[in-house]
This record gives sequence, structure tokens and C-alpha cells, in this order.
Amino acid sequence: MAESDARLHERKHFWRDELLLIISMVAFVVVVYALDNALDPVFTPSTLLFAGVLLALVPAGIWLVFFNLQDRAEPEPKGYVLGIFVLGALLAAAIGIPVVESLFRVSHWAYTSTVATILGGILVVGFTQEFLKYAAVRYSIYHTDEFDEPTDGVIYATAAGLGYATVLNIQFVVSNGGVDLGSGVIRMAVVALAQAAFSGITGYFLGRAKFESEPIWWMPLGITLAAVFNGLFNWLQGIVIQPTVTLSGSTNNAWIGLVLATIVALITTGALLWLVRRNIKHLQTTE
Amino acid sequence: MHTKQVSLGDRYAEIAVILVTAIALLLGWFYKSSIENASLPFNASGVTAEAPSGWLQPQPSGNELFRAVDINSGGFGTTYIISKITIADDVPALEVASIVALAHAQDLLAFRVLNQQEVQVYGRTAYELSYVFVESNPDLTHSELPKVVRGTDYIFVNAGEAVVVSYQADEKNYDLDLNRFLLFLKSIKF
Repeated sequence: MAESDARLHERKHFWRDELLLIISMVAFVVVVYALDNALDPVFTPSTLLFAGVLLALVPAGIWLVFFNLQDRAEPEPKGYVLGIFVLGALLAAAIGIPVVESLFRVSHWAYTSTVATILGGILVVGFTQEFLKYAAVRYSIYHTDEFDEPTDGVIYATAAGLGYATVLNIQFVVSNGGVDLGSGVIRMAVVALAQAAFSGITGYFLGRAKFESEPIWWMPLGITLAAVFNGLFNWLQGIVIQPTVTLSGSTNNAWIGLVLATIVALITTGALLWLVRRNIKHLQTTE
Repeated sequence: MHTKQVSLGDRYAEIAVILVTAIALLLGWFYKSSIENASLPFNASGVTAEAPSGWLQPQPSGNELFRAVDINSGGFGTTYIISKITIADDVPALEVASIVALAHAQDLLAFRVLNQQEVQVYGRTAYELSYVFVESNPDLTHSELPKVVRGTDYIFVNAGEAVVVSYQADEKNYDLDLNRFLLFLKSIKF
């Protein structure tokens, strides 16, 4: 009976916090962008690097703050959530980035044509990232008593996704020796929103796989869907942020990228919430 | 934290995820190889080769018959060059290598020969000249660090002419791009 109750728990606070995370991320970008333009700060190479790394940590920080607030209403062990976040980050640094950048050298060939961008984005980048985020949850918390309701899949996978995004952003900052704060912060928000959204898909499938008797193809389907969305998003992102060059100069379209990422994150969160609610209704009618 | 026992269905699902991911990555690898190894036929002055597809091919000048640059390479763009030099009938390969090295020393910044030796290249005797140089953008407004480039020339001497096949790549990409160059080298006929 207790397990049945857990399965019928929608965790409204979590979904509200997902929405707040998206809104806060956009607000964070607007504030940093405005401050950068207004103050025009001057950095030394080391302070620029430091500022970039700090900014890379902010999206995960925002999420963790909201998570901590909602956690008072619907307790989830904070240590485990933080642990999954760190695990996602470690897997990105130790396996994800080396596989994509060094083994497959994606940047070397994936931008030679549209088909290459899409296939490279799905088959290599998408599957590597989504599998590692899945593994961070599946081989740690998944088989414990703490993973006690389907929505936990989305919570823990989102934590893994944000850990992954944080390392991607830090790597971007470090490999460029720092970033321009204005455009850099947009990129960081885009990466965080996208990674959180796609890992949410994997998390939804993980949650249902644990509490319902799903067929063998269920989890591979979840990873494949997340990888496909991941690859398609990166391709679309590449198209929309291409600078517009005119006789009077070029225009930076990074803001359109942020709008796209926000829409994708909102749609994904909305779709996952709808799926969870539908699932709960289905369970209520069958039990 | 209590850990529950994994059911057989869970185990199969787990294996299925690993299999699907492995298949996707394998397909990705084949696709990557198909793009990187794609080629176009090249033919000039009796020299034929399978040139990399999608690379920039600037108009060759002087003794050069062919030059292709990979614009997607990080740092210095990986470059293949085929040159043809007219020589006297009795000039040994070692002497041609000295001429080639001297020409490089005049054209390239901080040029140093790393190694030179006679080698067999796909059944053909050649002289291998390995070197390093620094590529620096001549535009003084460019605030970027000069790049260290590694190069290898294969010098084939044949009845009054020498064909020099050069491979130059950023030191970070040299080993990574070498297999692609060996495919190109294998395809050269003259």
C-alpha cells in the first residue's frame, strides 16, 4: 500500500521548482548581461577565468537552492541529490568529454554538413551524454530505498544533467582561457537548460522502469529519445545562433539560442508533467 | 541506504541500454570514418591520388602539384602537399632531402629537422624527412600564440625527378591525423 501511495505522488513542488529554475536562469542571464554592459568590467586573464568558472557554477547553484527550499515540504536526501550531481560531473569530465572530444573528435567532422551535424549530435554526443547521465542514476541511487517514486527518476537525472552541464561549461571557460561575460553567460544557461531538459526525459523513463513492469525496450527507448532530442537541439541551436552578417557589421544571435533553449526546457518540463499526471491517473483507475 | 536485488527483467533492460548505446557509438564511429576518409580523385603531371574530400584546395604554386588543407583541424590546418622537382639522373635521395630541407629552412619559421632516414613506403623506397616549425600569423593585429607544427616529407626519386609528399599538422593533431595521411600516401601513383 505504501509503495502504491508513493507511485501516486505527483510532487507538485518539484515541478514548480523546475519552472522556477527555467525562469531564474533567464533572469540570471539578463542580470549578468546588463551588468556586463553597464559596468564594462576589466579583467586580468586569471580573474576572467575565475569569473567564468563561477558563472558556470551558478545554474546548478540556482537549482540546488530551489531544490533545497522544496525539500522541506517533500524530503529527499540532499546528500544523495548532491552526490548524483557530483557523479554526473565526474562522468562528464572522466568519460563524456574525452570520448566526444578526443576519441570521436566530433568538432573535427560533425560540422561538415547538416547530416553530419545531426547524426554526430545524436549518435555520438547524444548517446554518450544521455547514457552517462542514465548511468549516474542507474548504478547509484536507482536500486536503493531512497528512489521510492517515479518522479525521483526526473529529480536525480536532472541533478546528473546539471552536473554534466556544469563540467561542460567549466571546460568551455578553461579551454578558452575565460569567456566574454555577456555571451558566455548565455551559453552557460543554454547548456544547463538543455542538459536538465534531456536528462529529465531519461529520468522519466527510469522512474517508470522501476515502478511499473515496462517491456525490455522501454529504457533503451528513453535513452534514444533523449539522445535524438539532444542531437536535434544542438543542430537547431547551431542554426539559430549563426551571426547575421550585413554591410553594417555582424549581429550576435546568442539570445535567440537562449529563447530556443527556454522553449525546449518549458515544453519538456510540461510534457513530463503531463506524462506523470496521466500515469498517476492511469494507476488510480487500475488500483 | 538499502539496496534491493536486481530482477532479471531489470538486468535485461540494463543490458539492452548498453547494447543500444554501443550500437549507436559504433554507427557514429563508422559514420565519422566515412566522412574523414571520403576522397576525390586527383590527377596532375602524371601523379594521381585520392585527395581528401571537403578539404580546402588552394591553387598550387611553384613546384607544387597539389595542396589540401583541412580547415576543420584545430590550430594549424592539417596539410597535404605533393611537389615535383626536376633533378639530374644521378642525384641520390639524400641530396634531394638536403635541398628540400634547405627550402623549408628558408620558408618556415624556426624550422628544425628531427630525423631523416631511408624507409619503405608501400613497396617503394623513399627518404623520410621529419621536421618541426612554428606557424605564426604574419598579421601583427592577431593576438594569438604561434602554433608548433610537425611535418614529414616522403621523397621519392625516380629517373630525373623527385616527388615529395608532405604531411604537416599541428603537434596536437599530428598523431591523430597520421592514419588519414597514410591512406592518402598509399593512394599516390606516379
